[in-house]
Amino acid sequence: MSFLRIHAQPGRTTAWTLSWFLFALGIVLYFYVAQARHRENPDERVMPTIGQMVRGFSDAALKPAEEEEAQASSGSLAARFRGSMLWKDTEASGRRFLISVALLFPAVLLGLHMAMFPVIGAFFLRFILFFDKIVALSLLPILFIAFGIDELSKIMLIVIGVTPTIILDTFNLSKSVPREQIVKGFTLGANDFSITYRIVFKQILPRVLNSIRLNLKAVMLFLFAGEMIASTDGLAYRIALLRRHMGMDTIIPYVLWVALLLFLVDFAMNKINHKLHPWFEAA
Amino acid sequence: MRNEIAVYIDKVHVEYPIAGQAPRSILNGISLEIESGEFVAIVGETGCGKSTLLRLILGEEKPTRGRLLVNGYERSQPDRSCGYVPQKYSLFPDKTVLDNVTFGLEVTSFGAWPGARWVHPKQMRRFREEALLYLRHTGLDESDARKYPHQLSGGMQQRVAIAQALIMKPPILLMDEAFSALDPATRTGMQQLIKTLWRESGTTIVFVTHNTREAVCLGTRIIALSKDGDGARGSSIALDLAVPDLDFDSEESDIGDLVREVESAAVRERPLVYN
Repeated sequence: MSFLRIHAQPGRTTAWTLSWFLFALGIVLYFYVAQARHRENPDERVMPTIGQMVRGFSDAALKPAEEEEAQASSGSLAARFRGSMLWKDTEASGRRFLISVALLFPAVLLGLHMAMFPVIGAFFLRFILFFDKIVALSLLPILFIAFGIDELSKIMLIVIGVTPTIILDTFNLSKSVPREQIVKGFTLGANDFSITYRIVFKQILPRVLNSIRLNLKAVMLFLFAGEMIASTDGLAYRIALLRRHMGMDTIIPYVLWVALLLFLVDFAMNKINHKLHPWFEAA
Repeated sequence: MRNEIAVYIDKVHVEYPIAGQAPRSILNGISLEIESGEFVAIVGETGCGKSTLLRLILGEEKPTRGRLLVNGYERSQPDRSCGYVPQKYSLFPDKTVLDNVTFGLEVTSFGAWPGARWVHPKQMRRFREEALLYLRHTGLDESDARKYPHQLSGGMQQRVAIAQALIMKPPILLMDEAFSALDPATRTGMQQLIKTLWRESGTTIVFVTHNTREAVCLGTRIIALSKDGDGARGSSIALDLAVPDLDFDSEESDIGDLVREVESAAVRERPLVYN
């Protein structure tokens, strides 16, 4: 039982194998059960086989979206992908996602200023703490009434759902910068803003980026809620639409596609964070 | 002839309020004058208010009662008139050694906008050259300049912190247990370094330590703080002693006698003034 010790040091190959084991197990189990169900009932739709899913995904990724069927049915693979339903949906969801993430940066600045300037903190903190407790999805009807069912209401849902967490997280991170660093800054001739931006902000930035990374799933959650309820395009809209037709052969690849995209965004942000802040992990 | 008064402390009390109880007294009517160019070592047991006294001089705290002037002015917050070397967190972890040392010069010249360093390359080059001079002076070299603080040993980090503070040429340098976390050998090296820098620069240094031997070897004046009997009234000055400017190779008996005298003073009720 030496492998269950705190001091166990799995080798490179063992660690790699272990990290992929559950993926492999999940895939094998799924297809074993799917095959069994298909043997019992050839019209089974709840658990499509690998062949059905490949066909479903290939249709979504390479066949033209309905409205542009005529012009995009031929051409290169890339051109066909750009005209496909999957690309159109990814583009629509991606646009909303990027706008929402961009709107998180003012939240970071607000949290930073709340922590650094006691008057700003006193003004906003209680309100944000209360605002943070509001269940964003419960505001959805109000948002649809106030902003209509266009893009704005969906983006506002994400902003309202995630912004207070980011503000409070940045506030706490800024407060955790040792007081000695701030005093040191003053004794070196820095003014309030130099200390805020050049000492505190620079020190918390990698942690703030990590916090945004951890909240990406919440961003997607609110985005999907908005798209499923009121949208005419987007990945979640498509999943909701296909559910009506029991289109599991496309829904499952769509879910995996969303997970893959989120994983890649998270991976890229992590890499960029390390590149920009080489001092961070070791310090 | 007396030098200019760098720090003037008159009957200063510091009390911290405690909800539902009498306020906790830390300092009880401390009066003290520190002349420019002095090397004052403040000693006392843990919790006797040494660091509080330093924070008062720094402008980071205000006295509950009494008056405190630094270079003739009351202070509302820390500023360039006092350099500061704390025990921990003395360097900015996100900046290289060189950027840590040039930071003060940069912010006083360019302000909050970090992009200004790219707009003024000549000035930045001058700052870097000056920083390298200070780094060399504190025993570091050019290869260390590109490292981040976490890549340095504790002693090297404190050397950088001293260079970072001294490059701003502060009239007063405040050091709060600056060498406490270092191993004995590194600590001795740092003590010699700071003594040499003090002799060369003539900066007023206020050095807080709980190590009596360190205080005796470094200071030209020792202030010992001690609590009253039950500690309820806060600490007051138990000893104010001018000591000879000792070298680190001074006779062991000279140092030993002074150490015993300072340590025994911490239990006396009335202050002993030898100045």
